[in-house]
Amino acid sequence: MDQRSRFLLQRRLGVFEGVVWCLLGIIMARYGWIQILRGKELKQEAMMQAVKIRTTPAPRGLVLDRNGNKLIENQYALNLVIEQEDLPDLPKEQPQNARQSNAIQQVQALARELQMEPDDLRRKIVGQFGTNRFLLLKDNLDEFDLAEAEKIRARFPFVTIKQAPRRIYMGEEFAGHVLGYVGEVSKEDLAQPKYKNYRQGDIIGKEGLESSHDDMLRGKDGSREVVADYLGREVATKGEVPYKVGETVYLTLDAGLQSILHNAYGEENGAAVVLDLRDGGVLAMYSSGSFDPNAFLDRRNTKKTEYLLDSDGRNRMYHRAIKTRHSPGSTFKLLMALSALEHGVITPQSRITCTGTKSFYGAPRRCEGTHGSIDLLHAITVSCNIFFFELGTRLDIDQIFETAHKYGLAEKTGVDLPGEIASRIPSRAWKERQSSDPAKKKWYSGDTVTAAVGQGAVGVTAIGLARFYSTLALKGKIITPHLLLGYRDEQTQKLKEYPPKPVRDVALDANIWTLLDQAMSQVVKYGTARGIYMPDLEICGKTGTAQVTAFTTREAYLASAKQFRDHAWFAGYAPRDNPQIAWAILVENAGFGASAAAPIAQKVCKYWFIERKTNPLPPPVKRPSGSYYAIPDEIDGDKQ
Amino acid sequence: MKGRMHRLDFSILVPMLLLIGLGILTLYSAGKSGQTRIWLKQLLFYGVSFGLLLGIASRSPHQIFRKSLWIYSFGIFLLLLVAFTPLGLKLGAGEGAKRWLGTKALNFQPSELVRWTTLIFVADFLGRRMADQIKLPEITTAISAVLLPVAIVAKQPDLGMALSYLPILIVIPLIKGFNWKWLAAITIVIGISVPVAWKSNLIQQYQKNRIVDFLNPATNLKDKNYQTNQARIAIGAGRIFGQGLTGGTQTQLNYLPVKTTDFIFAAWAEERGFFGVLLALGLFGIFLNRILAVSRNAKTLTESYFCSGATAILGLNIIVNVAMVAGTLPNKGMVLPFFSYGGSSTISYFIGISVIMGIAYRSKVL
Repeated sequence: MDQRSRFLLQRRLGVFEGVVWCLLGIIMARYGWIQILRGKELKQEAMMQAVKIRTTPAPRGLVLDRNGNKLIENQYALNLVIEQEDLPDLPKEQPQNARQSNAIQQVQALARELQMEPDDLRRKIVGQFGTNRFLLLKDNLDEFDLAEAEKIRARFPFVTIKQAPRRIYMGEEFAGHVLGYVGEVSKEDLAQPKYKNYRQGDIIGKEGLESSHDDMLRGKDGSREVVADYLGREVATKGEVPYKVGETVYLTLDAGLQSILHNAYGEENGAAVVLDLRDGGVLAMYSSGSFDPNAFLDRRNTKKTEYLLDSDGRNRMYHRAIKTRHSPGSTFKLLMALSALEHGVITPQSRITCTGTKSFYGAPRRCEGTHGSIDLLHAITVSCNIFFFELGTRLDIDQIFETAHKYGLAEKTGVDLPGEIASRIPSRAWKERQSSDPAKKKWYSGDTVTAAVGQGAVGVTAIGLARFYSTLALKGKIITPHLLLGYRDEQTQKLKEYPPKPVRDVALDANIWTLLDQAMSQVVKYGTARGIYMPDLEICGKTGTAQVTAFTTREAYLASAKQFRDHAWFAGYAPRDNPQIAWAILVENAGFGASAAAPIAQKVCKYWFIERKTNPLPPPVKRPSGSYYAIPDEIDGDKQ
Repeated sequence: MKGRMHRLDFSILVPMLLLIGLGILTLYSAGKSGQTRIWLKQLLFYGVSFGLLLGIASRSPHQIFRKSLWIYSFGIFLLLLVAFTPLGLKLGAGEGAKRWLGTKALNFQPSELVRWTTLIFVADFLGRRMADQIKLPEITTAISAVLLPVAIVAKQPDLGMALSYLPILIVIPLIKGFNWKWLAAITIVIGISVPVAWKSNLIQQYQKNRIVDFLNPATNLKDKNYQTNQARIAIGAGRIFGQGLTGGTQTQLNYLPVKTTDFIFAAWAEERGFFGVLLALGLFGIFLNRILAVSRNAKTLTESYFCSGATAILGLNIIVNVAMVAGTLPNKGMVLPFFSYGGSSTISYFIGISVIMGIAYRSKVL
């Protein structure tokens, strides 16, 4: 190599080396900028994606009857879920790139594997973004499902099996309407201000007291701070906020008495409410046909579909005790008597002649018998219609409404269950509201005559009627029916009762109460309900037979289909000298009140006053049918 | 053995061994949460490579350069084998590119090696002639000798690798000097060929996407720019002193993708911090500086050209990879010498370095 070219080469190599060092210097500066100037913020970003908050769902509070028997308990179940940060990165609309198309394919394959609608699952996943909660794919895995789930997990690593508490409703159809059930909060719920603190995926009470006492029963979800890798798999736990179990709640319900009602109805439809006269506690409340709340928690349970489709025609989802109005029939006569005496249109000594049939305002009306000259006491005892039709001509409908309003029959009782409706006692103002047609707005005197025997526009709920009879029993004290007795104090593990609900007292001449009391006592002694007379317990009550359809002859009625038969009522209280319970019992399409409804009241009294003391019925133990994967730990409210 | 070790240039060997040490540490840490034996496998590659190093470095470079045409032809033959015979393999990475030779279990990426065989040919072809004898025909021949493998490799497709052949051409300005006319000509050629390549199918859609994404770094953080973004977070999270070996969340929890190959430097930066980065880049600088020193002292033009070409190949590789990891250059899929896991690249680098070692020994002895 000659000197000149060596010199030139050396020089050019020097330039080349300078360029290399310059480039290295620029890169060092770039690293310095990222690591020193932006290091703090990027470190935070790294921590944000590595440390994740995971929800640990809190078990809801237990629900016990007044004696501490479990009505709702919890059990751990295994669910197939996708944790929040494992949710596949799905586009809201069309996929933007190969990664998203791949995610969509994965989700579609997963949906097929789980026998879900692919689009449905996609929507669910997209809806779950940012809720900080896991997405439930399949709940309540049994041993067979678990094997399947493991296979799914091998193919779709973002799926997790997670343990979570689930509700068990004891006794299946035992008290479905009262207890209600839980479910995932719906989009519609979330739109309401009441649910502003809830998020998608939260479990809330959907019906019954699960819904009305949701805030007490739902605990507070815990959370865990975990270090997770890029697939969301937990590597370590950093911190934990334990969940708080919901309150353990005592109900006023008596499981034994509830069983009596549950068993008494069998295939009959109807509703019954038994109230505790001391404080208005609901001792038993049953709506027949009932439903099994467990059906709403278990995807395998086919009963849910049956209920919703009403496949046996029993309208099981309807809470007949608080959400349905029925004509009260003759049980309404006590209100008529009260109103007539209050407004002075009769005195206890006034007599009216019953000839079996009589025409009022040009329409002939019938009585079940021919009672001759009859006073109020006997008119109630034998349930004379003519006597009360006559009262219907003497009283104005607004006067009847006024009395009903005064004694609380025209309002909701305020029982702590969702969806209660008020009994309907008509008035002129009410009729006015019903129609825009002037001819239909007018209240006719004949309407009052019909209303006088609890027909026509009059409609009461079972709980409304039970409360009215409790007012009769308590001689003017108006109680508020309620289901919540108290909660379990976590320190003492004892029942801590809530203060009783206020009682409204209506002043009235004591003689009127005594007269009505005597009349109702006679109904059972030798009146329409004498079939349930018991020598050692004095029951007071009144039967009612509410017409469903008018028939011209008795033969036509007997030949008619069941759904055209009359509804049977029996409302009353016992014992006469120191009333402790009051009730209203309705059996739909069962015919005569005395023969269908009164015997149920007799069973209630027999159990409550006699058998309960010596031989109480066992609490419900029937658990939901179907296979459940048994996890040994049953969650009890007293842990945590 | 001792005699052969004596032939090695320690001023190159020491920074190299230090870099290999850092690389093995990083591989150990990055593989800890999954590929726990990857650092051992890499050590095995180094073992094989050192055998080759001792074997080749003990030969006179002259013997190698004498067969440069054969060596070059052999390299092209290997590339053609990959491209046109069933021996060519498509493996998981590289979006379906056909780059490998062999079987699924045992394979080799010839394009790594052919860089060096091409360099041997170009250095020898130009080094045989005096600088003023080198005119347009010679330069054209040299450029064509480089562009032939570049075209084959680009067709695989492996644009990153194809581009890494171009530094070989550094020898031309080293010989002829820096010339404004040349620069203008190159600018025009690039100015025409880039839009043409963009419109034609020469640049694959995924490569276009990479460039578009690179120009918009704040978008598509979850998919297209995911790797770059995660690497940036990892580097930043290292801050000045690093999170400690096996202590980086990005690396250990696998947020950092391809952390044992293309993005391994991000793992190092996260766990050893800015000081670690300075150390590694400093060692790389010293390493390149030592090779250039060999180039200066080389006995023949061929040897000198070879060393400067090798510096260009290695330097570009290092700088592009490290800049790509930091998000300064588009994500091209290029490994980092002495850090990234890989047999083909390790063995190929060592073949190149062993030739340099031979040159260094000769320049000292003779």
